[in-house]
Amino acid sequence: MTDDSHQEDDSYGRYERGDAYDGHETDDASDSHQTDRDHQSTDPAGDTTTGGNLATDGGEIDPVTLEVLRNAFATVAEEMSANLIRTSYSPNIKERKDASSAVFDARGRMLAQAENIPVHLGAMPHSVRTVVEAFEGAFEPGDTVIHNSPFSGGAHLPDITFVSPVFVDGKLVAYVANRAHHADVGGSLAGSVSADATSVFAEGIQIPPVKLFERGEIVDGVLDLLTENVRTPDEREGDLRAQQAANETGRQRFEALVEKHGRETVEAVADRVLDYSERRMREEVRDLADGVYEFADALDSDGAGAEDVTIRATVTIDGSSIAVDFAGSAQQVAGAVNAPIAVTTSATYYALRAVTDPDIPPNQGCYRPFSVSAPEGTVVNACKPAAVVGGNLETSQRIVDTVLGAMAEAGVRSIAAAANGSMNNVTFGSADSTLTDPYTFYETIGGGYGARPERDGVDGVHAHMTNTQNTPIEALELAYPLRVERYELRPDTGGAGEFRGGLGIRRDIRVLGHDASFSLLSDRRRNRPYGLDGGQPGATGEDRVVIDGEERHIDSKTTLELSDGDLVSVRTPGGGGFGPPEDRSLAAITRDLEDGRLTAEHVAEHYPHYDGE
Amino acid sequence: MTRIGVDIGGTFTDVVIVDDEGRLRGVKTPSTPEQPDDGVVDGLEQARDDGIDVADTEFLGHGTTVATNAVLEDDLPPTALVTTDGFRDVLEIGRQDRPDLYDLDFERPPPLVPRDHRLTVSERIGPDGNVVEPLRESEVAELADRLPDVDAVAVSTLFAFRNPVHERAIREGLREHGDDVAIALSSAVLPEFREYERTSTTALNAALKPRLDAYLGRLSDRTRATGIDEQWAVMQSHGGLMSVRTAREKPVNTVLSGPAAGVQGAQYLADEAGYEDIITMDMGGTSTDVSLVDGGEPSLSTDWEIAGHPLGVPTIDIHTIGAGGGSIAWIDAGGALRVGPRSAGADPGPAAYGRGGTQPTVTDAHVVLGRIHPEYPLGGDLSVDVDAAREAIERGIADELGQSVRDAAQGILEVARANMERALRVVSVEQGYDPRSFALVAFGGAGPLHAPRLGEELSIPTVLVPRLAGVLSGLGLLASDLEHAYVTSVVEPLTDVTADELRDWFAKLAAEGTETLAADGIDEASMRFERSLDLRYAGQSYSLNVPIEGDPSEETLAAATDRFHAEHEAHYGHANPDERVELVNVRLRAIGEIPSIDVRTSVEGTVRDAVLGERPVQFGDEKREVTVYEHGHLPSGGEFDGPAVVQAAESTTVVHPGQSVSVDDRGTLVITTGKT
Repeated sequence: MTDDSHQEDDSYGRYERGDAYDGHETDDASDSHQTDRDHQSTDPAGDTTTGGNLATDGGEIDPVTLEVLRNAFATVAEEMSANLIRTSYSPNIKERKDASSAVFDARGRMLAQAENIPVHLGAMPHSVRTVVEAFEGAFEPGDTVIHNSPFSGGAHLPDITFVSPVFVDGKLVAYVANRAHHADVGGSLAGSVSADATSVFAEGIQIPPVKLFERGEIVDGVLDLLTENVRTPDEREGDLRAQQAANETGRQRFEALVEKHGRETVEAVADRVLDYSERRMREEVRDLADGVYEFADALDSDGAGAEDVTIRATVTIDGSSIAVDFAGSAQQVAGAVNAPIAVTTSATYYALRAVTDPDIPPNQGCYRPFSVSAPEGTVVNACKPAAVVGGNLETSQRIVDTVLGAMAEAGVRSIAAAANGSMNNVTFGSADSTLTDPYTFYETIGGGYGARPERDGVDGVHAHMTNTQNTPIEALELAYPLRVERYELRPDTGGAGEFRGGLGIRRDIRVLGHDASFSLLSDRRRNRPYGLDGGQPGATGEDRVVIDGEERHIDSKTTLELSDGDLVSVRTPGGGGFGPPEDRSLAAITRDLEDGRLTAEHVAEHYPHYDGE
Repeated sequence: MTRIGVDIGGTFTDVVIVDDEGRLRGVKTPSTPEQPDDGVVDGLEQARDDGIDVADTEFLGHGTTVATNAVLEDDLPPTALVTTDGFRDVLEIGRQDRPDLYDLDFERPPPLVPRDHRLTVSERIGPDGNVVEPLRESEVAELADRLPDVDAVAVSTLFAFRNPVHERAIREGLREHGDDVAIALSSAVLPEFREYERTSTTALNAALKPRLDAYLGRLSDRTRATGIDEQWAVMQSHGGLMSVRTAREKPVNTVLSGPAAGVQGAQYLADEAGYEDIITMDMGGTSTDVSLVDGGEPSLSTDWEIAGHPLGVPTIDIHTIGAGGGSIAWIDAGGALRVGPRSAGADPGPAAYGRGGTQPTVTDAHVVLGRIHPEYPLGGDLSVDVDAAREAIERGIADELGQSVRDAAQGILEVARANMERALRVVSVEQGYDPRSFALVAFGGAGPLHAPRLGEELSIPTVLVPRLAGVLSGLGLLASDLEHAYVTSVVEPLTDVTADELRDWFAKLAAEGTETLAADGIDEASMRFERSLDLRYAGQSYSLNVPIEGDPSEETLAAATDRFHAEHEAHYGHANPDERVELVNVRLRAIGEIPSIDVRTSVEGTVRDAVLGERPVQFGDEKREVTVYEHGHLPSGGEFDGPAVVQAAESTTVVHPGQSVSVDDRGTLVITTGKT
C-alpha cells in the first residue's frame, strides 16, 4: 500500500490502486528524503539530534523566528475557534464546542489546527484539499467556499467546512478554514443524526464545494438553497455567518503576519514548522518497537440488519514510520455506521497521537510519519451512497479501539483498555402542533473510561473521539418540554481488574405533554469494551423505554415515536479493566463498596480474594 | 485617621497605611501560612512600633489567601451534599468532558464531596418554580440521621434557584437535629441555572465555611486586642469588598481575593493617570497574570475554575500563563527554542542569583543583555552573578544553536514575549477587544522589563509602570468599595417580560443589598445600586451583560435591547435585531461607597536628580549607553526619552529606543511606545 517513490510535493495525498488512501502527504514507510522543489528539507531519517540543524541549515530561519511564527500560526487558529464558538447561535457549537479551525499554506498544507474534537484532525486537511482542487485559479479575495460531502473529505453531513483564501498584494498566500457541526442539515430526521438511514440521501443536504461568499458578498442563491433544506433556517444562517466571521478573523490575522514578517519568511517558516513537527513525531515513533501488530474489534450492528461489523487494523511500525492498514474490515453496510476515509484517518491520527507526545504541534508535518489505507467499499472507506452519520460518531470510536488495541500489542507504555466506545447519541425532536416552537434536541452521553496500567478508568466521561459537554439538566428543561429524571453512574459496569474500568452513566428523560420522535444511535450494547493485561471487559450498555407504562428493552440503534409521559432510559457502557482482578488491592475494593460503585454481589463474583475486610 | 490595607501573599504579608495627607507607608512581614492571622498581627504591631497610631484606624481592608490555599492544597474538612434523588453524581460527572484530549492517563480532580457523603431526597421543583414532587417531612427528619460525620453540608437541589422552599426545609431539618454543622444552600450562594456549576460553588462554600469562620473570627478578636475597633472588610474575587460578617457566610467569594486586590490597585493608579481601559500584567518569577479592565470595570467571569472545580460567582477574569522571570529556556526535541513552563522558581532561581541554578532563564537573558544592573538588581540582598548567567545561556542555548550568547539571550526574550503576547490576546482579542485601544499596566518583579517592548509589538500606545508596584494589592484594598453581587435567573423571552416584573425583581434584590450593606455599617447616602441584564439571542448559551440606566420601565427595556444588539455587533461582529432576545439573568450590584484615598508623590526637583548613572544595554544589534533612573526619585511631571532604564527596589523598567516617558503625580511612568 505504500510505494517507494519520493514524493514530489507534500500538499496532496493520493489514492493508490483504487483502494488505499495515504495520509494526505505522508512520507513513505521507509525514511525517505523529501525532494521538494521549493525547499531543502532536513533529513528526517538522519536528524536524531536535531538541535543544530535549525540554526544552520536554511540560513535565514532561526529557531526564534520559528518558535515565534509557530506560535503565531497557532494563535490565528485559536482566535478563529474562539470567535466561532463565541458568535455561533446553536448550543451545539457554542456549548458543546463541536467545531475546529485551521490555517493552511498556499499549497494547502495544514500549518496549525485548533481542534476541540479529534474527529476533525485528518478530515479538515482532506476537505481543504478538495476545495482547493475544485477552485484552483478561481479564488478571489473575499471568497469563501463551503463543503460537506463525506466522500471527498467531509466526515458526515452536519459538519460544514468553510475555506477562504488569504491574499496579500494580489497573491494567494494561505487558506483559513473552519468546520462546525450544524444541528440540522435536513434529511429524514430532525437533527440529521438518523439511526435508521440507509443512504446518504436520507441524511440531509449534500454540499459540493461551492462559493457561499464571492468577493465578500454572500451568494443569496446558495444561502437560500441551504436554508430551504433545513428545519431551523434562522439558526443555520446564524451559525453560517459565525463561521464566515471566524474565517474573516483568520484572514485578517494572517494578512497581518505576512505584512509584518514578509511573505518569504512566512513561507519559509511554514516549511520549517511542518518539518519540525515531523521530526518530533519521528523521534517518538522511533522509540516504539518495530513490528507488525494486528487487532480486530467489531460494532454490534449497523441498525439495518448487519451484526458484528468487523474492523481490523494491521499496524506496521518500521523505524520512524507507522503504516496502518484496515484490510480485512467488513464491507460497507446498509445502516448509517459507514466511515468515510477521512473519518478513519482522523481516528487513526487520534490514536497515534494519544500514544505519542501530545505536545507536538498539530500540523500536517506531525502526520507525515503516518500512512493510513483501507480498501474502498469497506465500512472504513465507504463509497457513495453509503449512509455515514454514525461513521463519525460510532465507527470512529471502534477504529480508535482497534488501533489502540494493536498499539497495546506493540507494548506501548501509554495505553488504556477500551473505553465505553460509543458517543451514545440521543435526539429528541418534535413538530407537534401543540407546541409553540418545533424543536430538535441532540446530545451525547459519556460512559466509563478504560483502565490504565496504573489507574482505574475514570467514571462517567467522554472518551477518545468526542469531548463535548453535556447539556445542563436545568438548561435542557428550560428550553425543551422534557424532564430529566435520573443522571447517575451505573455501579458494577467497569470491567474488573487490578485497575477497574470506569462506570457508565444512566440518563432517564421523560417526554412532557407532546408527541416527540426519539432516536438512539449507540454501540457496545453487545460487544463489550475489552480489558487489557488480564483485565476483564467492561459491561455493555443497555437501554429501555417506558411507553404507555410498559417498559421494554431497545436496540442500540433505534428510532421511535413517543408521546406524553413516555420515558427513555439510556444506560451507557463501562470501560475495560487492566491487570488481573485478583491483584486489585483490598483497600480499593473497600472504597468502591463504601462509595456504592461496586455491589457486594459484583465483588463476590469478580474479586473472590476480597474477604469482606 | 488612618486607613490600613493588609494583603497576605505567599511569602510576605504587606501592610499598607495611608494617612489623612495621603502619605503612604508600607510594612512587610513574613507570611505565616499555618496561622495567617499571626502575620497580620505582626505587621500591625510593627507598624505601631514604627510610630503609626494604628488605634486611630477608620478602615481596614484585607486580601487573604486562606480560601485559595485551602482549595489548591485540597485541605478542606469532611463535607456532605444533599441533592435531588437521581442526581447524586452530578457533582462528579460534571460536564462529562476530560481536561486533555490526548492524555490517556488523565485524572479528574477528586470530587469536592466523596460519593458516600452525597445523600439524596425525593423532591422535585419544575423549571417554572412549581413543586412537581413535594419534599416529605418524614424524609427531612430521616436525613439528619443518615448524615455522616462532617463539618459542613452543601444543599443543592434541581431548580432551587427558582424556588428555594425545599432547600430551606432541608436546612431547617438539619438544624433541628442540633448539629453545629456549617450549611450552605445553592439558592443562597448562587441562585443561577446550571446545576453542576451551582452545586460545585455551593459545595466549595460549605467546605470553606468552618475554616474562614474560625480565621476571620480570630482575626477580628486579635485586632481588637491591638486597640483597633474597626471591622475588617475582605476583598472578594470580583474586586469589591465585603464585611467580615458576610465573608463568614460566603467565603467562596474570597477564592481570588489577593489577585483581585492587585488588579484593583493597578486600576486605581491607571485611573489616576487618566486611563480607564487597561490590560494588567503581573509577571513574577514563575507565572504571569493578565486581566482586562474596560471603562474602569474589570472583566468578570462567572465560569472560573479553581483546581478543576467550577466557581460560578463573579470573579475577575485573570488569565495565567507559565511565563515568569524564572522560566527556563530549553531546546526541545524538534530543535525549537522554548521558554517555560518549567521555572527555576526562587530556589535555586536563575543562574544569575548565584544560588546554584545552572539552567538559563528569562532573568539570565536580561542580565546578559545588560538590562538588570549588576549592583542594583533584584530587590532584597541578592546580587547578580553575570558570569553564571552568561555561562548558563552559553551552555544551554547558544552552543546548541551555534549562536552567540547575545543572540541566544535575545532569542529567549523574543520567545518569552511571544508567549506573553498570546496571553494578552486571549484576554483581549479572543473576547472581542482590540488591544490597541488599551493601556498596558505592568507590575510584578519582571513585568516592567517586558511590557514596553510587548506593548510596541501589540501596537498598544501606552504602557504604565506604577511606582508603588510593591504595594499594589494593599493599595487596591484601600481603593475599592464594598460591593455585593445579586442575581436572579429568569430565562424567558424579553418580550414576555413586563416593566413591572423587572421592577419587582430589582426591588427584591435591592432590598437584599440594602439589608446587607446596612449590616456592613454603610449609611444609605453611601449606597449605590447598579442594575443590569444578561441577554442573549434565543438559542444562544452565552449572554452579554447590559446595564439598565435608571428606574426599570418600558423605555429602559427597549434601550437595553438596543444596547444588546449594539454590543453583540461590537463583540461578535454581527447582530440580528429581528431575532428573539432572551432575558437570562437579572443582576444587581449593591455598592457601599468608601471614601477614596489620594496618594501623591512628594518628590520634587528634576529628572536629572533621579539619574543613577549610565550603562550599556543591548537593543537588537545595537549596544547603547543608556541613562539609568531611580524610579522613586523621579518627580511628578518629569519627562525623558528612551532608551533608558528605570530602577526600582523590586523591578526594572526597560524603555526602548523611540519610546518616551512622562511621570504622573502618583509617580507612575507613562510610557509612549510610539505606536498608535
